[in-house]
Amino acid sequence: MKDIARQSMSIKVESMDLLNGQIKMEAHASATYLAMASWCEQNGFFTSAKFFFKQAEEEREHMMKIFNFLVDTGGNPISPEVTNINHDYSSITDVFESTLEHEVKVTKSIHNIVKKAREAGDIATERFLDWFVMEQIEEENTVRDILDMIEVTGTEGVGLQMIDNQVANWIE
Amino acid sequence: MNVIFQSTYYTLYQAANERCYYIDFGQKLVRMSLCQLLSLRHKVNTIAIENHFDSDLNAHGFEVLMLCNKEHLFILNTLEVLDLKNLVDHGFVAIGLSAKTEVLSQ
Repeated sequence: MKDIARQSMSIKVESMDLLNGQIKMEAHASATYLAMASWCEQNGFFTSAKFFFKQAEEEREHMMKIFNFLVDTGGNPISPEVTNINHDYSSITDVFESTLEHEVKVTKSIHNIVKKAREAGDIATERFLDWFVMEQIEEENTVRDILDMIEVTGTEGVGLQMIDNQVANWIE
Repeated sequence: MNVIFQSTYYTLYQAANERCYYIDFGQKLVRMSLCQLLSLRHKVNTIAIENHFDSDLNAHGFEVLMLCNKEHLFILNTLEVLDLKNLVDHGFVAIGLSAKTEVLSQ
């Protein structure tokens, strides 16, 4: 019997489902960073706002990378529904701490897909995610450095203004 | 046409010469490309079957399923939905696009 399924699609459906979940997660991250940019603008952290606008764009690019991979492999990419975006933060430290939490969650999710793809012998998906694994190291490191800078600078007096100014160092 | 998998109510066929699949829904034979079969899988897998057991969430225990870009419309009861989920699960294993059995056998 001719294998028309394999001729039309080159990854496993389980990987496709997980990648669709990741598309949703990246879209959620993009929307979350947009909400953070909005918070920063409203609270006078204009450089941080720029940082989060940029992050929101990057997350959307990640989403599209996965979306296009599913197109290329003959899968069924699903345009994600994005709901429950938090717009309330107690401080700029809270914003960056939430960012780090979010990035760690994304990293764990990507590692999980790599693990599952490996178990399923889905080499294409596993290799595709190599770039994301390295990208997440960079993303986590950036936010960790910003949190370290916040700790060193302190939030008293002109500290908040200095923090916002220094965030410029992490905008590429 | 070759039978890929037969469940209680439905049968999935592969028509290699036409490069497509057919599902016999009993009253209707539906021709599908792999993309349409993937779309059916997504629709079936996103049905919240637990809602069928809560009269507030799904009062009558029916699902409306539109297939092949709204070409076909089916109204399925709980047992039919469960059977279709079963067909989709086993069907994708049988056509080699699901890793389920491979993972289990390792």
